[in-house]
Amino acid sequence: MEDAPVSSVNESIGASVAVRAATLDLHEIQATVLRPRPAPYFGTHVLLRIDDARDGRELFRRLTPHIDSAAAWWSAKTPWLSVGISFAGLKALGLPEDSLQSFPEAFREGMAARARQLGDTGLNDPKNWDAAYGQGQVHIGVQAFSDSEEERRRILRVAREQLDGLSVSILAMQDFGAQPGDRNSLGYKDGIDQPAIEGSGVNPLPGQGEPIKPGEFILGYPGESGFPLPMPQPEVLGRNGTYVGFRKYQSRVGAFNRFLQAHGSTDEERELLAAKLVGRWRSGAPLVLAPDADNPELGADPHRNNDFDYHNDLRGRQAPFGCHIRRMNPRDTKLTRLTDVKLHRLIRRGTTYGPPYDPNALSEADDEVPRGAIFLFISAKAMATIEFLQQEWINDGNFIGIGDERDPIIGLQQEGATFTIPKDPVRKLVRGIETFNVLRGGEYFFMPSISALKWLANGFQ
Amino acid sequence: MGTQTQIATSPQSEPTAEQKIQKLRELFADATDVGKAALENVIKELSSQVSEPPPPIESAGRVGARLGKRSELTIIVPLVPGGAKRLRTFLQLLGGNLSPGATKVGTLHDMRFVFFDNDTRLLFGTSFDGDWDTYIDDFIALIPDYLDLMDSAWEGWPGIRDPGAKDYLIKHQITADGWFVAEPDLTLAEIQRLKRIGKATDEFLDKVQ
Repeated sequence: MEDAPVSSVNESIGASVAVRAATLDLHEIQATVLRPRPAPYFGTHVLLRIDDARDGRELFRRLTPHIDSAAAWWSAKTPWLSVGISFAGLKALGLPEDSLQSFPEAFREGMAARARQLGDTGLNDPKNWDAAYGQGQVHIGVQAFSDSEEERRRILRVAREQLDGLSVSILAMQDFGAQPGDRNSLGYKDGIDQPAIEGSGVNPLPGQGEPIKPGEFILGYPGESGFPLPMPQPEVLGRNGTYVGFRKYQSRVGAFNRFLQAHGSTDEERELLAAKLVGRWRSGAPLVLAPDADNPELGADPHRNNDFDYHNDLRGRQAPFGCHIRRMNPRDTKLTRLTDVKLHRLIRRGTTYGPPYDPNALSEADDEVPRGAIFLFISAKAMATIEFLQQEWINDGNFIGIGDERDPIIGLQQEGATFTIPKDPVRKLVRGIETFNVLRGGEYFFMPSISALKWLANGFQ
Repeated sequence: MGTQTQIATSPQSEPTAEQKIQKLRELFADATDVGKAALENVIKELSSQVSEPPPPIESAGRVGARLGKRSELTIIVPLVPGGAKRLRTFLQLLGGNLSPGATKVGTLHDMRFVFFDNDTRLLFGTSFDGDWDTYIDDFIALIPDYLDLMDSAWEGWPGIRDPGAKDYLIKHQITADGWFVAEPDLTLAEIQRLKRIGKATDEFLDKVQ
């Protein structure tokens, strides 16, 4: 650990970052919590069910040496494995009752049972989810990240070898990876804006904002209130752990393209509309910095592509109030309610799966092609934050002064949904917004520290 | 203190309109003559209203009632010695109207502070948009001192930054059994937006004449 800031090149994200002394126990925190995905990235999600408590603990004994910590997370280091455990999984491992009860209520209930609080109804209702999810069957989620297909295969093989001879079932395996140009399933460069975490060992990138207290993201440290958040007990289990909201979306690419076609007669018009929905051009260039035309060099530059706020766009003429990135991080936007934006941020690990975005896919059959993104939303209070975001910032518009409008990208749309584009002399109201990303599954995981994994493996001692 | 009314009832156990009216008749058999006569005078009108019930009152998070987008909160707390005097003086500093600070919250429609039992207890009532604790962490982060300035008059108040503060509020909150909101779908932000639109429309109409 260096005392004075030094410069280090993070080859994985192509940014040089200033490294400084970390105050977090990076050797204890799992790598996925702090380490961004490489570019390009290749990986696999594995969902497991523990059929025997002792075998479950044996799996953790075997797997733990292969789970990477966040030590020197800023330097390129792939591949890596991480692991999370659901509440059903902790029960299946035989965790004592008083320890089980020390987890937050929403985590104990599970994501499917919280559908009402999450607004996961209609198309997104758990009854429409893929078979593996929401049944209390998913006990363990293993994530493999790497920067090459070859390494992905190798590390996945390592993970699978640990299962040999154990009563642990594989429920689902989902490969993921960057699309050409590092794009997601709707054709956008994604994952650009992440919260800066105090004490994590690097200076924030331009535009990341003031670092947020680590206790908001990792258990055992002071949060923004000055207090640590309540932690699962005993302390060895909770400290340096965090929660992961796992949400699998399927992109309805046909519906999205049909919408763009219906509202734009030229490529330029369609691309501008696509940019207005997100707040960035597909290249990643933010509208606030590139209001009239795309600027791919800007989009590709991690030192510039997030370096903005909304003080020159008070009326949403560049980035509409309802666009995806202004909702998910309003920065200095004046909100209708007394809000501390820092309290509602999440670390996001987006993992795109399925065939690449196809701008010519227009049919309803194209909506059913398995293609989309699995998100890991990471925070020390992930359940509460995801519920807040779903209720307030995604499936409502009141907080930012646009009535009932919802997030055009990840919102669950109602009949007659609209998207307001502020413009001179009068705003443009775009109709025909549909649910472009449908929820197909979700689980909450606890992502324990390295010591906690050993403690679990060792029969809770 | 803290008695909670069950708001959501399962559809199976929901009595019919006739059964509800019958139940009311039975209870009013023991009422005063004034009450009995009043019931007879309105029973026909009531029966027709009951058969077409309004949108149901829901729960506003853990405690409290919500109709549409508007929630109610009633807290009754014992006060520490001198607490009433301090709180009253603070309220009077602003003419009993907290609008300069309270407006910033953005969700508060109204607040009332009622001292009773010889200044030993307080009834605090408010109505606001959304669920009870959605923004509580934001208040803790942004206006902790104003909350503690007022709530330090309350017996046993642990301080807003204390992890037990939410439990304290829940313990002293009583859910209303009746909750009427004239425009349940209008949030404060919507009301303000409509006021702006109304004003702009008037200006426009004046100009085109």
